[in-house]
Amino acid sequence: MSVTPATTHAITVTVNGTTYEQAVQARQLLVHFLRDTLGLRGTHIGCDSGNCGACTVIVDGKAVKSCMQLAVQADGREIETVEGLSDPLGPPDPLQAAFTRHHALQCGYCTPGMLMSAKALLEERPEPTVDEVRRGLKGNICRCTGYVNIVRAVHEVGGGPEA
Amino acid sequence: MLLPEFEYARPETLEEAVALLAAHRNARVLAGGQTLLNALKLRLVKPEVLVDVSRVEALRGIRVDEQGRLEIGAAVIYDELAADPLVRERQPVLAEMTSRIVDRQVRARGTVGGNVCLADPTSNYPPLFVALDAVLRVRGPEGVRETPAEGFFLAPYVTALGPGELLEAVLLPPLADDEGVGYESLQVGTDSWALARAAALVRANGTIRSARVVLGCGSVPVRQPAMEAALVGREPTEEAIAAAAELAGEDFEPPTDVHATAEYRTAMARVMARRAVLAATRGSR
Repeated sequence: MSVTPATTHAITVTVNGTTYEQAVQARQLLVHFLRDTLGLRGTHIGCDSGNCGACTVIVDGKAVKSCMQLAVQADGREIETVEGLSDPLGPPDPLQAAFTRHHALQCGYCTPGMLMSAKALLEERPEPTVDEVRRGLKGNICRCTGYVNIVRAVHEVGGGPEA
Repeated sequence: MLLPEFEYARPETLEEAVALLAAHRNARVLAGGQTLLNALKLRLVKPEVLVDVSRVEALRGIRVDEQGRLEIGAAVIYDELAADPLVRERQPVLAEMTSRIVDRQVRARGTVGGNVCLADPTSNYPPLFVALDAVLRVRGPEGVRETPAEGFFLAPYVTALGPGELLEAVLLPPLADDEGVGYESLQVGTDSWALARAAALVRANGTIRSARVVLGCGSVPVRQPAMEAALVGREPTEEAIAAAAELAGEDFEPPTDVHATAEYRTAMARVMARRAVLAATRGSR
């Protein structure tokens, strides 16, 4: 990475276990890099202003909003997107299975972000209480479900106490 | 959204960062980007160069300096600050407040320096740093200077940072055994932004020896000299603190908007001031 200002930079990122070397425009958002450059359209663009969390991915173990980060800033980082949760032909990730069981989605637009936030939450706090699940998902907005079933699904996967 | 075109540079040292800022008049410092990226999307700013300081090691540390001050690098991320053992031991109120900023995604990216230098009226850190008598270390083309947090915030989104200058670190004086800190916010929702904040640093040992009370969410963080004077010499009882808090609101200048009137914010700021001082005198350091 150059100390010299430039409008294009070469970056190396690992996404769902695959390493990519790619030249990116400095102004390209990480979410556009994932969706348009790599073709990983599971990550959604919702509000495009850091409020809704639909674009949440995991970067070096932390949930981040990919519309609020430049692709060039992800240089050298390891990224997990919703596509990395499970193989399309294999069994679903426990979170995906729980979302299905609890009907934790209706339109599904927020779901990729919800899943990635929940995954980061459970890695940080494996057995969260209901309140910790709610607080942990605060950065993700759902307009359909009223959150009740989402919280149930995540809480069940964690297996933590109610309070 | 497609951002306006700009050049990007990622220095690794402070010297490189300051040289870049000096060489490009229309440059902006980028760290976590949790505000700057939105400002770019809205075309509120149109820098030619973004200087990404997020990997400058010298800005990323938390340590105790030779004067016993807790030194927090400007590019320290909220999550790192909240989890840091030195911060949790020496400034637990700061650590606790930080662990409740907005949401986990923002806490994974946002930086202390970004929050301070943005100087949004609702920013979390400015009122607390003024109450804690923090000193800001600033590096620019002319060298390094230290300036008190009190006086750094000039107007909404305007600080005493000069052209080409970079906030390097926030320095917090050590707390004495008889000093306590309180920080209270009236939030719109859990872990949300606030209508009124108050931060207090109180020294009490049977009676209140000194007090620094600062209101936040007005145009800039402001000390409350009348309330502070009314506290000194009194026993830290609920009644005495409540009476002193009636004097809070000096130079507060909150806005009236869709969320609340200025009168309501001022009334709530008094409540926050009372609670912050009460918490501080309960040794919640």
